[in-house]
Amino acid sequence: MLTVENLHKSFGGVNAINGIDLKFDAGTLTAIIGPNGAGKTSFFNLITGAFAPDQGRILFGTDDIAGLSSPDIVKRGIGRAFQIASIFPSLTVRETILGAVNAHRGWHTKLRRRFPLGEANAQADEVMELVGLTAKADKLSGNLSHGDQKLLDIALALALEPRVLLLDEPTAGMGPEERWQMIDTVHKLWQRKQMTLIFIEHDMDIVFKYAQTIRVLSYGAVLAEGKPDEIRNHPKVIEAYLGTAYEKGRG
Amino acid sequence: MRSTVWLDIVIAAAAMAVLLLLPLVFPGKAFSDFMIRLSAFAIFATSLNLLVGYTGLVSFGHGLFYGLGAYSFALMMQKLGTSIPVAFIATVGVSAAVATVVGAICIRLKEIYFSFLTLAFQMLLHSVIIAWTPLTGGDQGLTGGVPRPPFLGIRLDDPQHLYIFCSAVLVVSLYIMWHLVRSPFGYTMRMIRDNPRRAEFLGVRVWRVRLLAFVVAGVFGSIGGLLMSLFVSSAYPDFAYWTVSGEAVFMILMGGISVFFGPLVGAVMLLLLNDVVTRVTEHYSLMLGIIILCFALGLRKGLLGFVLWAWERRRAGAQ
Amino acid sequence: MDPQALLTCLSTASCVITQTTGGLISGMLLFLVAAGLSLIFGTLKVVNFMHGSLYMLGAYFAYTLYTATGNFTIAVVGAALGVGLFGLVFERLFMSRVYNTDVLMQLLVCYGFILILDDAVKIIWGAEFLSMGMPAAFQRPPIMIAGGILPVYYLFLIGVTLGVALLLGLLLTRTRAGKIVRAAAVNPTMTSALGINTALVFGGVFALGGLLAGLSGALAAPVRSMVAGMGFSILIESFIVTVIGGMGSIGGALVGALLIGLVRSFGTIGFPLFTEGVMFLFMTLVLITKPSGLFGKEH
Ligand SMILES: Nc1ncnc2c1ncn2[C@@H]1O[C@H](COP(=O)(O)OP(=O)(O)OP(=O)(O)O)[C@@H](O)[C@H]1O
Ligand SMILES: [Mg+2]
Repeated sequence: MLTVENLHKSFGGVNAINGIDLKFDAGTLTAIIGPNGAGKTSFFNLITGAFAPDQGRILFGTDDIAGLSSPDIVKRGIGRAFQIASIFPSLTVRETILGAVNAHRGWHTKLRRRFPLGEANAQADEVMELVGLTAKADKLSGNLSHGDQKLLDIALALALEPRVLLLDEPTAGMGPEERWQMIDTVHKLWQRKQMTLIFIEHDMDIVFKYAQTIRVLSYGAVLAEGKPDEIRNHPKVIEAYLGTAYEKGRG
Repeated sequence: MRSTVWLDIVIAAAAMAVLLLLPLVFPGKAFSDFMIRLSAFAIFATSLNLLVGYTGLVSFGHGLFYGLGAYSFALMMQKLGTSIPVAFIATVGVSAAVATVVGAICIRLKEIYFSFLTLAFQMLLHSVIIAWTPLTGGDQGLTGGVPRPPFLGIRLDDPQHLYIFCSAVLVVSLYIMWHLVRSPFGYTMRMIRDNPRRAEFLGVRVWRVRLLAFVVAGVFGSIGGLLMSLFVSSAYPDFAYWTVSGEAVFMILMGGISVFFGPLVGAVMLLLLNDVVTRVTEHYSLMLGIIILCFALGLRKGLLGFVLWAWERRRAGAQ
Repeated sequence: MDPQALLTCLSTASCVITQTTGGLISGMLLFLVAAGLSLIFGTLKVVNFMHGSLYMLGAYFAYTLYTATGNFTIAVVGAALGVGLFGLVFERLFMSRVYNTDVLMQLLVCYGFILILDDAVKIIWGAEFLSMGMPAAFQRPPIMIAGGILPVYYLFLIGVTLGVALLLGLLLTRTRAGKIVRAAAVNPTMTSALGINTALVFGGVFALGGLLAGLSGALAAPVRSMVAGMGFSILIESFIVTVIGGMGSIGGALVGALLIGLVRSFGTIGFPLFTEGVMFLFMTLVLITKPSGLFGKEH
């Protein structure tokens, strides 16, 4: 579904991505872990066209999407949500999601008819239902709680009916209870929508419980990949990362 | 959905009816002159708000289109002797074309650089008008008057007809723009104002939406200038001077940037202020400056924005 | 449009010299104003739209001080300090309240002040054109170079502004205060985290900008006539200069100001109606090709 070959990107002198080769099969649930600054977010940025890679290929199906613009890539079926929820503060939840639905269907430049277009309503309702924001549909996005803003960010991506969904630390900045709720929602989404889901996560309990496979990044390169059990006992991973972060995740 | 569209049309028709009846209450020429100037400025300021308030594009040079509308219309009437409807439509076409080119160049720039580039284009037009004396009459403005031949029984050299015509253009223009900000496109504009990066990751080609908004705003901005040239039967370089853009910005901020009718209310306020303050004191600048400071430091939502906000709060409190 | 006249002028040494010196002093006066504008933008990321009014205040302050004392040095120094103080007060009391709003509110506050100051000047000094006259020390025959005229005062003015430009450069690159200002420009949160009082830095930058504009106005007083609203054209020109040179770049401001000064002085001969047009054309071209300006850093 998504194959990355020999990916490189540097910012000034920093080699944020330093030769990554990875393959994500259709319908899988993958976690990406790695210490701060490992290049996880940059990896997502390259896949979604926020930056063009310096080198390497990004195959979506059989097409090389490296260097395409973000809208082009999104339109092919890759959606993403952000480490810090990226929303539209002055729009209500419903308006936000309707806007995304319109964009997905190419209706976002329609001048003549009223917003929202009737046909879009049903899909927006479904998306809000999926992430559990129905009750807050008419609240201003900017007034939502942190957790709900993260949910809304994910809902925006879902409205695009992506085949691949990239979630950058969906549980960032949440309390323990909220985290599990969030990841539960994400897991259900994955099961219902049967999409390829890749999420970045620092909480190892969550990662080991939910991920089918785990990819470990460090200094812009792949340190290890495998099933949760293999990663748990991987000496390099323990050395480079788990030692500290595992504790941190619990504490 | 249908029913609200009808409601809008009914409201627009009612507004038109009120505008038609108002001269019975205020029969003087002063009133109709005021209303004609108001219609030009209200359309112009509202069109600028499509950019500033709705799309987050702070243009300092929207007066480009005011001047362009006035001069292209007046010149077409004067030099080509076309009929008013033809010149009207041609002016809209010229403005759309210019807005497409200027917009495509300007929207590539971010924030203050965008603002400055729009200003530079406007001042370029102003300089061309001043320098191209044989065509434009230079800093004296177009001399010889703009002919206003009758069409469809409408005689715009008759002040009454002109009043009705301007009122109709005002209502129709505001209706179209109102409709526009309530269309899916209008919501996309607001999304881009809030967070253009996120919009890109929803598949929105942000520059296209911005360009379209720029063109629409430019077209309506030029209609404002057109009405003014009809009213004064001429066109002056001042129409393309930066002060025109500045006045529109004040109208928007005085009325309320976050509300559709804010610029209309702001236009009424600023024009009234002009008339009243110049009558009671010679220190017009001083008064206006103080009032502007009050808005900038105190009433940032603008008058209409504040009233609506207070009303919302009272309603929320009552529940 | 008169290209013939321009060619004739360019082929005679006297005309070239007269126009060049005229262009140079316009450029130097403009530089002082634009440098402050550029500095304020570079540090505070705020466009001070009332910067031209500070120039106007400088001229009027100098006029009053000179008529009162008859001493040109006192007039210039006093005017510059006075306007610097005014800039500080304006920043602390008004501008600092709109830093966190959008640029339109900043524009509004500044425009309010432009209007108020213009009327205040009319009330205090009258609405007519005022002229201060050349101080006695400079009332001597101009230097003639190849038939071109170089008034002595011009020489003085160019010397003073070049000195100020040099001092400013040293201040920004060599002193602790200058380093703080440049650091604040790059990262205001970092400087405040380091325990540096950002309010002080911002106020100081505004005061310095005001001082420069006031100095420019005071130095212009002997060679320009004064009127309420005189700050406006220099404001527009300093915008053009800062955009061309790169906002935040003092060297860029110097080059841009000299360029605009020369365009103005030769333009009045070759294309009197389109000199402003040429300036805006420059500005447009620079913005299109290199938005950060000829000497600005890309970001
Ligand atoms: N736009 C950019 N410009 C310059 N440097 C960047 C940019 N984006 C990322 N970097 C650098 O690339 C490196 C990788 O950053 P990235 O955000 O991808 O890390 P991360 O793995 O997501 O870390 P975290 O867990 O803290 O989110 C860092 O050193 C960062 O400073
Ligand atoms: Mg990250």
